[in-house]
Amino acid sequence: MSYVQPAARATSSEGELPGPYPVGAYAAQLKRRLLEFARVQLAGEVWGLKPGRARVYFELRDGRGALPCSMWLSDFEALKLTLADGMRVVVGGGCDYYPGSATSSPSFSFAVTELRIAGEGDLLAELERLRRRLAGDGLFELQKALARPLLPRTIGVVTGERGKARDDVLAGLRRRGWAGRLVWAFAPVQDRHAAPLIGAALRELAAIEEVDVVIVARGGGSLADLFAFCDEGLCRTVALLRVPVIASVGHHSDRTLIDDVAAVCCSTPTHAAEAAVPIDCRAARADVSSLARRLHGHSRRAIVERARMLGHLSRAPAQHVARHRHHLHQLLRELRASARRACEVGRSRTGIHTLVLGRTASRAQGSDATRRKHDLERLSLALAAHDPDRTLARGYALVEDRDGRPLGSAAEATAAGDVGLRFHDGSVPARVTR
Amino acid sequence: MSERNYESAVARVEEIIRRLDSGDAGLRETLELVKEGRDLVEYCAGELDAVSQGLEELKLEELVARLEAPTAR
Repeated sequence: MSYVQPAARATSSEGELPGPYPVGAYAAQLKRRLLEFARVQLAGEVWGLKPGRARVYFELRDGRGALPCSMWLSDFEALKLTLADGMRVVVGGGCDYYPGSATSSPSFSFAVTELRIAGEGDLLAELERLRRRLAGDGLFELQKALARPLLPRTIGVVTGERGKARDDVLAGLRRRGWAGRLVWAFAPVQDRHAAPLIGAALRELAAIEEVDVVIVARGGGSLADLFAFCDEGLCRTVALLRVPVIASVGHHSDRTLIDDVAAVCCSTPTHAAEAAVPIDCRAARADVSSLARRLHGHSRRAIVERARMLGHLSRAPAQHVARHRHHLHQLLRELRASARRACEVGRSRTGIHTLVLGRTASRAQGSDATRRKHDLERLSLALAAHDPDRTLARGYALVEDRDGRPLGSAAEATAAGDVGLRFHDGSVPARVTR
Repeated sequence: MSERNYESAVARVEEIIRRLDSGDAGLRETLELVKEGRDLVEYCAGELDAVSQGLEELKLEELVARLEAPTAR
């Protein structure tokens, strides 16, 4: 009969538990059943390693549970490994159960036949599974949505008390010229078991209202050293804090999960301190002074310049009248001067015209008299040319009647009978006889 | 400004300066803006003073004890 069977089949129809069975038989069946479990590899941390006479005993733990393990001492010594509490290992083996006896206690253990230190690949694979789970829960975005103050008054720092990270944080803050209140929450920062203590320190810091931002800092180390910062519980704690967390864990190449959930992740504690105080306090002081000066300048200009403008405006009407009076006087002077110049020009032109007219008149007068004289002379000459005396002077004689009238023809002379012959030097009587 | 802090104060002062620089503000608005700006500058200077007086280092437990003391706050 099988004593170890599924619960549904083991219950009697009346609802009573089956049995009672002999415990040894039950234990033997249990052992057989456990041995049916497949042999597997398990990953976890070694705790409480205790060598016995024939076997070594230890527990294999992780965040979700633990399993007692045992290994033949000779097999373990052949590995030449030195295991310390918290060391991550991968073991291979299967379930084993010692059913005990009337004089000895039973015990269960995972019988380890293979054991090795967990490698980087094992850790990275586990890390990647956890990273996907946290990302799926939306925990990477919560911290990044928090507002980070430019000028925190109080900064909390979670770090190892004797680590170099402490000095680096102080150096970063000095570089920013920041000298406010710094609250140290010292915690172990090595291996997975530091995670609850780091989480507790973070929660306590975040619970203090004065704390504006928190830095989590640790120097470099192996991935196993930094595994505390990949703890799921710690990462969930960080994601849900009210204050922004700036993580600087390990070196730049070491990407822990706290880097993903934190508001900011930095490569060094110095940079983390600078990220916690994003501004240079000395430069900020100069900037604020500059703003104050500009405000003062605006204030002064707003009053002084407006007062000056008002004074100017109050004087403006009188100045306006004076300016126009001056302008009118100027115009008047120009008008007078212009009139004088016009009169002088007119007078000058009149004089010139008078002179020209006078000369023209005088020229006109002189030429007419001459012309008339010439005409007269010409007429006199023409007249003289027709003067009979000039002809008589050339030897001719004029026949006149007795009355002295000239006789122009032979007939008239014959008819007159008695005629006078006038020579240039006198007349003589004559008789025409025919 | 719902919650005054350094960054919001500086941002507001810069906004005030831009407004004043524009020359569009009248006398009354200018004087009001200058008064508000001076208050904010004073606040910013106070905040800078608070983180310039000398680094005060405390352990978490010391701060907690100080806050929990009867005379605290």
